[in-house]
Amino acid sequence: MKFFREHGFACRAALARISAAPGSFIFNVLVIALALILPLAGLTLLDNVRPVSQGIAVEPEISVFLSTDIPGGRAQALGDEIRGLIRREQLEAKVEFISRDKALNSLKQRAGLGDVVATLGNNPLPDAYVLKLASAKDAAGASRIEKLAAGIGKLSGVEVVQMDSAWVKRLAALMTLATTVLWLLAATLCGVVLAVVFNTIRLQVLTQSEEFAVSRLLGATDAFVSRPFYYTGAILGLAAGALALAGVMLAMLLLNTSVTQLAALYGSPFRLAPLPASTTGMLLAGSAALGVLGAALSVRRSLRQPG
Amino acid sequence: MSIISFSHVTKKYPGDVVALTDLTLSINEGELVFLTGPSGAGKSTLLKLVAGIERPTGGVLLVSGQDMRKLNRTTLPFLRRKLGLILQQHRLLQDRNVLDNVMLPLVVTGASPQESRQRAMVALERVGLDAKALATPMSLSGGEQQRVSIARAIVHKPRIILADEPTANLDRASAKGVIDMLHTFHSAGVTCIISTHDERLLQGADRVFELARGKVAAVHDAESEVGA
Repeated sequence: MKFFREHGFACRAALARISAAPGSFIFNVLVIALALILPLAGLTLLDNVRPVSQGIAVEPEISVFLSTDIPGGRAQALGDEIRGLIRREQLEAKVEFISRDKALNSLKQRAGLGDVVATLGNNPLPDAYVLKLASAKDAAGASRIEKLAAGIGKLSGVEVVQMDSAWVKRLAALMTLATTVLWLLAATLCGVVLAVVFNTIRLQVLTQSEEFAVSRLLGATDAFVSRPFYYTGAILGLAAGALALAGVMLAMLLLNTSVTQLAALYGSPFRLAPLPASTTGMLLAGSAALGVLGAALSVRRSLRQPG
Repeated sequence: MSIISFSHVTKKYPGDVVALTDLTLSINEGELVFLTGPSGAGKSTLLKLVAGIERPTGGVLLVSGQDMRKLNRTTLPFLRRKLGLILQQHRLLQDRNVLDNVMLPLVVTGASPQESRQRAMVALERVGLDAKALATPMSLSGGEQQRVSIARAIVHKPRIILADEPTANLDRASAKGVIDMLHTFHSAGVTCIISTHDERLLQGADRVFELARGKVAAVHDAESEVGA
């Protein structure tokens, strides 16, 4: 009961201090929200792009296109030879044969290509094998994959061997880089948030220094005098986090019209979606925690004063 | 039974300013003690040491059985809750009304608002200021502000009242009123230590410690002709 009473008192004291100087509070919330909006927008963007990139296989994939004049029996026999080469290179791979008829049907079903395929007199596509390999764990593994591709290229009846993973790997690397940059940016801006909260609370402590000192003379513990400032920090962080998230949502609403139009041109239903509720909750809790941390650092400094 | 005991206590401020030198004295529970002496004699320092505002540089100071040099930030507040402080500058919070100021010693202990309000009103009644509970300290006279300060000092029923020049800046009638109140609390069993320049107020003291240059220059007990 006493616990709730003390926290209730601290919360009311914090709200009273905020309402005593609402202009200053709003200004500080705006400054912190501006610092938070960039990493939050980046996070929202990455969160939207990640499922798209994850939908694309990042495992090395080798497409083996056979000559169009190859007899049907030879095309089937090549499958065993390819499997043999895979075993020889001590690799794991799923081998799928795609006949030229199956490839044509698949092409027909693609958006906008049905009419084009219908105009073709005969099927120009070759039979093909698609090898889905497990990702190489080291340089030696990557080298064996390249050796396998070279070996397949030398087989009789093979026209072209194509490694399909390079660009996907680049995209994955780019995503990793973007994530790292985002974290670095977030860390820097968290520092900005801490500095703003620290300074705001320091000014409040200076303003309330007499209350601070008198309360301590009357038997207030450090926890008692600090608690309202922790609440102020938490409210500041929470309000700034909520404002920054609202800003990101607004920007997303404005951008979504253009994004959906652009995606529709590629036959994609892609649109920017808000962060999941759990992530939003965690971000709000995080910004409130940043506020509390800034306040704690500031108050701790003030508590070192004698008396 | 001794409630405050100074044993060879020394207090030096930075810059080698000596405020108390090898001070040894003890104050018994329930005593009314006055500290007198010229400015710089060490009266305020003595009170600050008892309140834990300053720490002794040397010697041993026991307050309510606790060694003041061993108290830390966590334990000191709990000792202070046994003290009632009446300061020369009142130190009332100007942005709060009289009632809120008097409630503060209870609020810091986690007492409920209802109980704090009720006990603060009783304390204000005892100093005759219950009608001004909602006034701001700034709207009160110096004497009234000192009475609010006294109400704040007694609201949590302290074992010891420390009053540093409680009658300074007050007219004679107000000063007498303040001292009469302290006598009332003393008669209820509270230990009172009062520093003052005004020797006319020393009547009724159990003992008077006359300080000079950080030492006890003389002790007058109730039988002596104190302040006569």
